[in-house]
Amino acid sequence: MTDNALTPHEEDEALAAEVALGLLDGAEAQDAVARLSQDPQFAQLVRDWQERLAGLADDLTPVMAPARARQGIRERLGHAQAPLARDPNERSSWWRGPWGALLGTLAVAATVAVLWLPGQQPVTGPGYQAELVAQDMALRVAAQVYGRQMQFLMQSGGAAEGRDLEIWWIEPDGTPPISMGVLPRGGDMRMTLPDGMEPSDRIRIALSDEPAGGSPTGQATGPVVAIAELTRL
Amino acid sequence: MTQARLTELEQLISRVAIGDRTAFDALYDATSAKLHAVCLSVLKDRPEAEETLQEVYIRVWQSAARYASNGLSPMTWLITIARNRAIDRLRSRSARPATAPEDAAATVPSSEPSPETATILAQERRMLHECLAQLGGPQAGAVRAVYLEGVTYADLAAREGMPINTVRSWLRRSLLRLKDCVTQ
Repeated sequence: MTDNALTPHEEDEALAAEVALGLLDGAEAQDAVARLSQDPQFAQLVRDWQERLAGLADDLTPVMAPARARQGIRERLGHAQAPLARDPNERSSWWRGPWGALLGTLAVAATVAVLWLPGQQPVTGPGYQAELVAQDMALRVAAQVYGRQMQFLMQSGGAAEGRDLEIWWIEPDGTPPISMGVLPRGGDMRMTLPDGMEPSDRIRIALSDEPAGGSPTGQATGPVVAIAELTRL
Repeated sequence: MTQARLTELEQLISRVAIGDRTAFDALYDATSAKLHAVCLSVLKDRPEAEETLQEVYIRVWQSAARYASNGLSPMTWLITIARNRAIDRLRSRSARPATAPEDAAATVPSSEPSPETATILAQERRMLHECLAQLGGPQAGAVRAVYLEGVTYADLAAREGMPINTVRSWLRRSLLRLKDCVTQ
């Protein structure tokens, strides 16, 4: 479509915005995409729109994905085997050299640190905890932070049938709560805190009652059943 | 976002480009919650957003080598990939064929100097929100719905009860006004 009231320059700008937004259809879309590789100035206009419009995503509250998403990516890229997909007795040769042995030792040390430190008193670094308790559901969940590792331990109770409990991270400044994902049914959960989520004793952690799979909108839709501040260990 | 963080993300992407899995993990830690929110905003469905998020990071792994030359800031590049994959999936749901947005612009080499500095980016972001406020409720709402929810001209036309061409002229003019305001 050409809008007669637009100058050729405005027409290009509007078209670039439409390409960046994905608003074009059919032949018009094909022509515009073909033009990207032939007309560097037009491609730059599209990139400028992509840069400008990406600021709209600032309004979105970050929502942590469940850990299985990362596992899925690793498996699909061949970076990791599915748990127990590999015979532990099978020997591969990469770790047999001196570097491999050293890396292996470091990897074991790192794994041991990650797996064992959280369950005990912290050896180094600040630690925090929160006890999330909902009386009517007999629910008790312990949240613990060591460095940038955070874990949730289900101690009693759980979500109602067909429902899930979603975990929220609440900053003191009134910004919308950040979803940390859904508490696995009957299981514990561990995660690395992303940049921008800095544990302190002003952070509150909440659990809300949500439809199975968690809030469909990314904001809490169900009642908050438990809330507690992080306290320094 | 600070300049240090901007540089950190750029360095992570350049390490991912040469197959560094540790950098890929760190990039995922730093950015996946935001990209997941983008997918959820478009798809409004948890399992689909989670599946799309996986596709997004697979694409990031595969195309990181081409990132350095495209001139986009790192979060824009990542958000654009997430948004495009999510809209692709959204549109494949409906029987009505609609063309998914293209990553093509992000793969065409740029002659422009490198991504903008954090200061300029931060200033433009502030301007964007001010300018959207100046644009007026319905126009700003339409721009947001198109970007954050993948709404099409046909959807807008149905929503506003106007012919598609009228809606299109109206949105194009809104976008031009937005651009003039942000870059003034």
